[in-house]
Amino acid sequence: MAEERYPINIWINEERFAALEKAGLAHMCEEMLAGLKLFRVYANEQQKDKILKVFPTAKFDSATTKSIELLPKDVKDKIFDKIVEKQSVDILGDFLSGY
Amino acid sequence: MAEIGHGGKEIVERILPPAEAAQKIKGLKTYEVRSQIANEVIDLAYGYFTPLEGFMGKADVESVCKNMTLANGVVWSIPIIFDMSAAEVAEYGVKAGASLVLTYGGNPMALFEIEEVFEYDKKAMCQDVYGTTEEKHPGCARTYGYKDKFVGGKITLVNRPKISPPYDPYFIPPLEMRKIFKEKGWERVVAHQTRNVPHTGHEWLMKGAWFQTYADLPIEKPLVGVLVNAIIGEKRKGDYIDEAIILTQDEQRKSGYFGDHNHLTSLTFWDMRYAGPREAVFHAALRTNLGLTHHMFGRDHAGVGTYYGPYDAHRMLESVRDRLAITPVYSMNWLYCPHCGEITSEGLCNHRDEWQKFSGTVIRSIVQDGVKPPRLIFRPEVFDLVMECAEKYGFGSPFVTDEYLQKRIPVFTIPPM
Repeated sequence: MAEERYPINIWINEERFAALEKAGLAHMCEEMLAGLKLFRVYANEQQKDKILKVFPTAKFDSATTKSIELLPKDVKDKIFDKIVEKQSVDILGDFLSGY
Repeated sequence: MAEIGHGGKEIVERILPPAEAAQKIKGLKTYEVRSQIANEVIDLAYGYFTPLEGFMGKADVESVCKNMTLANGVVWSIPIIFDMSAAEVAEYGVKAGASLVLTYGGNPMALFEIEEVFEYDKKAMCQDVYGTTEEKHPGCARTYGYKDKFVGGKITLVNRPKISPPYDPYFIPPLEMRKIFKEKGWERVVAHQTRNVPHTGHEWLMKGAWFQTYADLPIEKPLVGVLVNAIIGEKRKGDYIDEAIILTQDEQRKSGYFGDHNHLTSLTFWDMRYAGPREAVFHAALRTNLGLTHHMFGRDHAGVGTYYGPYDAHRMLESVRDRLAITPVYSMNWLYCPHCGEITSEGLCNHRDEWQKFSGTVIRSIVQDGVKPPRLIFRPEVFDLVMECAEKYGFGSPFVTDEYLQKRIPVFTIPPM
């Protein structure tokens, strides 16, 4: 059975889209809610639990989107910076090792 | 002509003029109250809680808990109670026939004419009112935090609250509100209850409820309004800050998504109990007193977690429908459909596999990240105002933080007499 994955939604404005284009990752953007761009990184069960523990303001939206939301802005910024730096979406393990 | 509120009782402001107030409170002991009680003193004194004239005695508390009525049979769903410790009761001489001056921020606020002192089983109260005794239900936590004695008696305001900007235009007590509705020529007014900054899902809830309320009235002149009534009270970390809530609700009208002819924003002081169905009934009584004819209720109204089913509040309202003076209007969810290319109702659109539902949590995440959503989802004027409020009032955040809780502008103060 495939392991459950929980998305973290990184919302993409023009500046972030330009950075993703430079990193060759812009094609991985999705769109939702009438054209809002987002970039998803995925956590496994263990990573989800660690995120919710380390960042107590974060919430798992079990009701609607099944995503991890309300991470602090600076945390989302750091996750995005790591995506661009590594030019990869598989950065969560590396990111969380710092916590 | 008398203004009649919930339970068929006339709405009367229980407020003493200054000279009389000063005389009445001379020599009485003073007792400082916390913000919950100060909110409820204002609600009692201005008639928001008609037919209540003060904090409940035991007979009313018991009847509210067991029967969801006052002892006289009027529908009422949440006990309005004043708690004190046994030591305080002794120290302040609290007994039937005695009076206290309630103070807030050190200044006299209200005369409390005591009628009885009693005890009540808090666990039983929780089970009756919230349908659970779990401490993690916020209403139960509040109840368990009450001191052990309850005091019933009449409340009369001796000193009007000073409402701080930017809240001041939105404090519109019942008698004043009813005057405004008459001036606007509104024959029907539908309440939109909120503690949120509005996205377009909320905007469409209001628009849908406006249409439902308008029904078969003639259309030559605007006869129906939406009253946004924001609940302002205890805040939790992660809530939107109060300034953002009240100003963005009004921004919908100012920016033309509604107009003066069909929209008005106001506030009521109240600490949410998250009592779901019982809170829905309470809201019905509260908004009747504000002069509304209709009240919109979505799914899981005033609920928390998974304590209540999505339609429990609707069923509870239906069970007392014949004893309410306000008409419930039940709202289906609005959502974004990429196929329709618009915000649509779950009752209309059949592209079910493509539905993108509004998630309050996701919208908050987007706002938190400072990314401006498309105007179909979040009006740009509202977004810009949220960001402005974050800087001006929220110490950099549109959401409640520890810093906000410590340093925020109080919504009201009681000035010295």
